[in-house]
Amino acid sequence: MSMISIRNVSKHYGDFQVLTDCSTAVEKGEVIVVCGPSGSGKSTLIKCVNGLEPFQQGEILVNEISVGDPKTNLPKLRAHVGMVFQHFELFPHMSIEQNLAIAQVKVLGRSQDEALTKGLKLLDRVGLKAHAKKFPGQLSGGQQQRVAIARALAMDPICMLFDEPTSALDPEMINEVLDVMVQLAKEGMTMMVVTHEMGFARKVANRVIFMDQGRIVEDAGKDEFFGTPRSERAQLFLSKILSH
Amino acid sequence: MYEFDWSSIPGALPFLWEGMKVTLKITLTAIGVGIVWGTLLAMMRLSSHRVLGWLAAGYVNLFRSIPLVMVLLWFFLIVPRFLEHVFGWPPGGDTRLASAMIGFALFESAYYSEIIRAGIQSVPKGQVGAAYALGMTYGQAMRLVVLPQAFRNMVPLLLTQAIILFQDTSLVYVSALADFFGVAYKVGDRDGRIVELLLFAGAVYFVICYAASMLVRYFRRKVNA
Repeated sequence: MSMISIRNVSKHYGDFQVLTDCSTAVEKGEVIVVCGPSGSGKSTLIKCVNGLEPFQQGEILVNEISVGDPKTNLPKLRAHVGMVFQHFELFPHMSIEQNLAIAQVKVLGRSQDEALTKGLKLLDRVGLKAHAKKFPGQLSGGQQQRVAIARALAMDPICMLFDEPTSALDPEMINEVLDVMVQLAKEGMTMMVVTHEMGFARKVANRVIFMDQGRIVEDAGKDEFFGTPRSERAQLFLSKILSH
Repeated sequence: MYEFDWSSIPGALPFLWEGMKVTLKITLTAIGVGIVWGTLLAMMRLSSHRVLGWLAAGYVNLFRSIPLVMVLLWFFLIVPRFLEHVFGWPPGGDTRLASAMIGFALFESAYYSEIIRAGIQSVPKGQVGAAYALGMTYGQAMRLVVLPQAFRNMVPLLLTQAIILFQDTSLVYVSALADFFGVAYKVGDRDGRIVELLLFAGAVYFVICYAASMLVRYFRRKVNA
């Protein structure tokens, strides 16, 4: 069974169609990169996967649990699906170590000690152990995003969703975040990543999905996608973002 | 030329202090209840549950559209009689302090709920998304993530409202309740020194409220920093 399976999902806000008949699947251990022009629905699609955005038609299964089913315990499901946001969304009123510990304690029921130890270990892994007592506002964007990744990992996720994790960062900070993500991919984490970083896609992606106007236009293996993308729109998009 | 005579004030200080205690009791009760009930009203109003939102909006708009004096009179005159009638309580008990505390608390809740609603809305939506993504329930997301940030942003406005409330408590004179202003007036009336006593009471209100607004300025600078 697939870790994430998206079947014929459609979503609209009133008359505006955001997603149209999207279907794809992410197998365990796979890294899928989702790209496309802005407004193509890629962020909306990834937010449907953990139910942050509702959808009207179709079905999404995460680890065989239906996200759209009203009977599903969404908080319980989300606790094991890590998510990293464009704007980091660390909690500004808590220290870094509290950011890492809070959901472990309140959601998973771990003890404060256990949660702090786990958090510190992951903070060390993203190279920020020295900053444990600081507050988010005292860190750079790249550092905050690495903390956000550690915070998601602290929940022992079965898969990770990344929603444009580097697009709010200054250029010189992008690589420190991508390095952490590449490392994670190499360790076998199942990842669905919305990003324009084609270097990252080339390095670790199994497949690349290209979206345009709410549809999945192309869903191909990495080599196939970068070698001979079939759709004209994907070719145009690639030529625009690869030229600089 | 009017001759000031302040001699009746020192002897009246213990009475004035008793009055100040009544004033503070009403103010603090209204602040406490106002913040708790106001928070609930704000959350009802922001919830996607239509009936809850409608009820909260109705409550807030009702209290914000009626003069405070009238609300107080209702709670002094009508509500106690009504309760006596419904619950068969013995008539004629002195419910004035309780009436004042309840009336102010319910009235202020409407104002606090609007401040708190704005405070909740000042927290970026992404924060709620992040809380949900970590597996938090609605209650946990509000309690652990949204409200602490909202209240931090709101401290100056909540304090400003508390200062207004502190001054407004003098309106309990309509029920002849002996709050600070009421005592000052009574002492002045007794000694024929109303001008002095009211000037003195005004000075006390001024010092307290001015000091409190200095505190607000300090917090405002801190929140913006």
